[in-house]
This record gives sequence, structure tokens and C-alpha cells, in this order.
Amino acid sequence: MKKKTVSRFLGLALSGLMVLGVTACGSSAGSQEAAADQSGGAAEEVQQGTEDSSGDKIVLDVINYHVGTDYAAEYYTYLFDAFQQTEEGKNVEFHFEEIPTTDAFNQKIKLLISSGDLPDIVFNGGNNITELAAKSGKVADLTPYFEADPEWRALFDDTSLEFNTVDGKIYGVPVSKEISYIYYNKELFAQAGIEAPEVAYADWDEFFEACDKLKAAGITPVGMDTADSGWLTNLWMSALIGTNGDAGNQWMNSMYPTDFNTPEVTAAAETIQRMFQEYTTADAVGGKYDPMATHFFNGEVAMFPNGPWMIPDFSETEKAPEGFYDKVGIMLLPGNGMEMVPTPGDMVGAMEEEKIKAAVAFLKFETLPENQIKALEMTGLQPVSNDLEIPSALTESDPLMAQVLEIQNQAKVTYGQNQAYWYQNTIDTFSTELPELAYGNITPEEFCEKLSESAKKNQ
Amino acid sequence: MKIKNRGLWITLFTVPCMLLFALVYAAPIVTVFYTSLCNYTVFSPPEFAGLKNFVTIFGDEDFLKSIGNTLLWVLLQSTFHVTLGLVMALILRRKPKGWKIVRTAYMIPNIIPTAATGVMFTLLLNPSFGVVKPLWEKLGSDMGQVPNLFGNSRYAFWTVTFTWILYSGFNTIIFLAEMGAVDQEIYEAARVDGAKSWQVDRYITLPLMKNIFGTCVTLASVAMVSQFDIIYMTTKGGPGTSTLNLPIYLYKAATLENNYGKANAVGVVQIITGISLVLLIQRLFMTKAGEEDGR
Repeated sequence: MKKKTVSRFLGLALSGLMVLGVTACGSSAGSQEAAADQSGGAAEEVQQGTEDSSGDKIVLDVINYHVGTDYAAEYYTYLFDAFQQTEEGKNVEFHFEEIPTTDAFNQKIKLLISSGDLPDIVFNGGNNITELAAKSGKVADLTPYFEADPEWRALFDDTSLEFNTVDGKIYGVPVSKEISYIYYNKELFAQAGIEAPEVAYADWDEFFEACDKLKAAGITPVGMDTADSGWLTNLWMSALIGTNGDAGNQWMNSMYPTDFNTPEVTAAAETIQRMFQEYTTADAVGGKYDPMATHFFNGEVAMFPNGPWMIPDFSETEKAPEGFYDKVGIMLLPGNGMEMVPTPGDMVGAMEEEKIKAAVAFLKFETLPENQIKALEMTGLQPVSNDLEIPSALTESDPLMAQVLEIQNQAKVTYGQNQAYWYQNTIDTFSTELPELAYGNITPEEFCEKLSESAKKNQ
Repeated sequence: MKIKNRGLWITLFTVPCMLLFALVYAAPIVTVFYTSLCNYTVFSPPEFAGLKNFVTIFGDEDFLKSIGNTLLWVLLQSTFHVTLGLVMALILRRKPKGWKIVRTAYMIPNIIPTAATGVMFTLLLNPSFGVVKPLWEKLGSDMGQVPNLFGNSRYAFWTVTFTWILYSGFNTIIFLAEMGAVDQEIYEAARVDGAKSWQVDRYITLPLMKNIFGTCVTLASVAMVSQFDIIYMTTKGGPGTSTLNLPIYLYKAATLENNYGKANAVGVVQIITGISLVLLIQRLFMTKAGEEDGR
């Protein structure tokens, strides 16, 4: 009997062991409130350098996802090196952990928010990281540093800082602005006998007329996807909603929407369904961004929505055929629409005063006007500061980028996009339900209902 | 040989293992059970909330679908997959020409990392440049309707299943080892009695495989209860909820909704499902000592 009990117990224990899988979630620990309280006094000292009182080097932990083939890998290598050449950075050493891809980085940061082991400089990959980190109390309140340095504060407009503010405190330092528009292949347009508009199609009807002409010429009109977060389709959908009158524009500029059953969102879902069925590649449903970008590079797709960070890829011969850069044109979304959101800013996860000062010094360096221009030149990231003097040489060295800077001033309507404004599980629902919408397994109304249900799970 | 204080020695030898188990697994399991009864998010520490999380998940259609899919995969894996391994072992036991090559080749899919397998199948079955398009063309079908095997919920479940169900190499190896341990005199006696090879398999080998079949079914079932990586790599539980299972649902609750209490409630269901399956399978397959002796 006793033997049987022991054997049963061992059996149960082993069974539990085998099925445990991914179940345990860590408990939260630590808080940065104490460090945040100290930050007021420390703010003024930041400009005086970051040397540790003992004279030792200050080591800052950084988890970097701008590595490998990332569009900004080269720029961030430059940035870290250049910072260490400055007065504020000469005593700073960086201890890097590299995590390729934003998705993997975000998951890691979330776990670290929960466990309280955030790196000293917290890069921001979006997905509501700012709010999660701020509400957990594990990142520093940077408001005192902005208040102590009005010159630095003046580099940012209110919208960009508000986007990084939680409960009245600034937690993130925005380093760029995100915009997106349409890239088109001039050669394919010429093949179809279409003249691209100078700035944008007047409305979506004109846009789809052009799509029909492209299709008639045997050319796939648009690039779309559904996997991961369905980035490309998200940009089309955001545009369809954001350019649909005041109501649509207001909806597409609001944070964390929970009601997707509005006429504008439903109409956009209906159009997206049509676009999947008539105007895109066979592998768009279930497809990821990269193969879709390859379709555009290979001249298999005529129009592709994306931001300026894609421009360096056009002349990267490992990604696109030689000479592709010259084939690309730029237009805004129909009705002169353009997606524009402030970026979620980088944060400070350091707990010790010395480290907080050093991390803030780095963030200040990162947002220096000359580094914003450098970022624009090297990565296509749009400067977060308005009225920066753009070097005239850029027009010659990178005419597409110069065109981006010019065309964005002609946008009549700007709006956000789901990765910046929606709940993360709703973005996932968007991605997993898109194929169902595309194949007509659910109606646009049902699609919107599923998004609403998903968003409401966060309340 | 009679050993003094046998119980004491058994206890002493199992203590390190049990201590390790308590630290690495038992403590998290207790945490999972406790926090499943709490409001617990990335923002807030656990706060007791009774059965709220369980009411929430059992009221969610997606969760019920994830249980359905998990159990269907358990059924498929514990029947078709294990049987396939057994059939392969029965064939290889006879050592036909090239059996060593086949045995090795059949193991290869099992040693490729599942994440790599996921990527491989995603590319292989891509409707634009994978193998499906040329096959479809050869069949003379409408090229505008090339099946999107991972992207369409009509095919996604079976396509994901296809990425693992045929590769039963581990089971084959286990069965071959068990077959190798069968006393050869039994087979010789059968041959002397004029038994044909299918009769040897039917009346000698298969009955003797009952216990190990149960073990393979247990392993296969438990693997399906915690199957995650290949689904995540290929469909992430979609399209819709067509390939959603318990671990993917749990992962989404933890990382997308940031709701650890809810995620751990799913974890509790997962653990209970796993343990129940193990006990059920043991009951079905394991021969009791008394029965074996004919008592």
C-alpha cells in the first residue's frame, strides 16, 4: 500500500513536470520610485558629466535590437562610439546584450519589466512598453531632467512628449517621428500606362482605378501581409480609416480604441477584404513583411506602403536589384493622407543615481540635432525636432529622402496606426483574423466585432 | 540479496532529485496554482480573486477552441503518430535491405530543431514560391486559387499537424529497442510451430509491445499538451483560432494581455489536463503485476 502511494506520488510529480511547459510567470520585484524621487536633485548635475564619484567607469547595461541586418544597426554602433568620445560619455562603458528583431526584444523587455531587471537604457520597440514600464514603477521619471534643461526640452513638440507621458510624468525620450506613405514602381506604372500623381490620388476611387489598370496589365497592384502584426495591411487600413472624414480621422488618432464597430472601421475592413481578394499577391495572406518587401524589390508589386527607413534598402544590392533606387517614386495616401505618429521614446531603467545621470546623458546625446540629422541620413528616421536645418547635400546624395521631407509638408490629413495606438492583443487579433476576412470566412462586421472583443479584454 | 534498511536507502538516493524537483518545478507549480486565483498583471502584484480567472477563460470561446484543438492533437498523436512509429519498427525489425539507412533517415526530422522545421515548412508551402504552386499547375487547376495551406483556416490545422505527425522516429527507436529485448526463443518456438511472419507480429510482438506502446502514447500526449514552438513559428494559433492550442492561448494571455493571473489559470488547466491524460493512459495500457502473472 505504502509502495503504491509512493509510486503514485512520483508518477504525479513526473507528470506535472512534463506538462509544466510555459506556465510560471515571475513575480514583480523592486521599484524605481526611490530612484525617481532622487532624480529631481540629480537632474541639474547631468550636464556636469557622468563620472562616478569614485572616479571609476560607469557601466550601463543596454539591450540592443538594432543589430545584425537591422536598418539602424550601423547608426547605433556609431552613436555608442561617438558618445564615448564626449565629455559626458568618456567615463561610460556599455555592456550590450543583443536581441535581433523588435518582436523578440519587446517580449524580453516585458519579462524584465515584470521581474524588475530592466537594463539601464531601455530602448523602446513600441507595443505599449512605455505605459507598462511606467505603471510598473521600474523606469525613471524624466520630467525633472527636461525641466532642468529647457534647451533640450525645446527640441520636442508637445505632441511627442505627451505621447511619452504617463500620469503627468515623462518617461520616454522620443528620438524620431514615424511617417509612412506609398512607394511605387515607376517602371510598372509606365508599363500599365499610368501616370502617378504628383502628391497623391485625390480619393480612393482614383486609387482603385489605377489598381484596376495595373491589374489589367498583369501587374499586382499592392503589397499586403497578415503575419506577425500585418504591418503593411495595417498601414492600408489605417489610411482607409484615417482619410474617411473627420470621424474616421479622429478615431484613427485615438489611443487604445475599444469600439471597432464604427461605420468607418467597417468600411475599411470591407475594402481591405476586397484588396486581398483582387489586388495583392497569393502569399499575402499568412505572409510576413520580408517576402512582401522582396516582391516589391523584384518588381512584382507596384505599390508598397512604408516609411522612410525603407529607403536605404532600395540601394542595398543584397536586398534589391542594382538600380532599383531610381525606379522608386513616392506618393501620399489618397486624399493627401499620411500616417504620422510620435515614436515611443527610449527610457531609463537604471536604479542608481550615477547610472541614471549617465543614461540621461546618452539620451540627450542621441537627440542632439546633429545626431537626428545623422540618423536621417543613415537610417531614414525622421527627426523628432521640427525646423532642423536639413543639409542641402541630402538632395543630391539621397533624392528620395529629400522628396520625403518635401512631400510630408503637403499632407492634409495625418493619422496614427495600430502598432502605436491599439492594445497589443488587438494587434494580434487583427493579424490572426485578417486571413479569415481575406478568404471571406468572416464578414467585415464580424472582423470588427472580434477586434472590439479583443480590445475589451484589456479593461 | 537482502538489503538492510532498504526504505532508508531509497529515500536517501531520491532526496537530491526531489529537492531539485521542489526547487525548480514544485515551487513554480504552487505559484501557478496560487496566482491563478489572483488578479495579477504586469502592473500589479497578485491579489486574491477566487475563481474569477477560471470563469473568464471558460466563458471565452477562444479558450474552449484551444482545448478542443489540444485534445484533437493529443488524439491524433497518440493514435496515428505512435502507430506509425510501431509500423515502421515492425518493418525495420525484419532488417530489409537498406534498413539502417531508412532508420537513420527517419530519425532526421526528429533531430532538426522544431523552429527550423517551422520556417522550412512555411517556405516550402508558400503559395507564391513553394512546392504547392508547381504541383497545382501540373494538376491543371486554376492558378488563381493556389491553396494557401498555412494562411487559410480551411487547411491550416491539418497543415500544421502535417509538420510533425509523420515523423515518428523516436517511437520507432523505442519500439525497436523493446523488440530487441524480446526473448528470441519465443520467436524460434513460433517458427517451429509454423507461424507465418504476420502471425508472429500479431500474436507475439504486438502483445509484448503493450506496455511500451502505453509509454509512447503518454509521451506523445504530453508533448501535444505542451506543443508550442512549431505552431508559433508557422501560424501563431491562426488564422482565426484554427490552430490555437492551450500553450499559445496561455502565451498570448501572458504576453499580449499582460494578464498573468489568467495565463496561470490556463496553466492550471494545462497541468490538470496533462496529469489526467497520463493517469488515463496508464490505466488503459499498463498491465498490472497480478494480471501479468495470471492471478
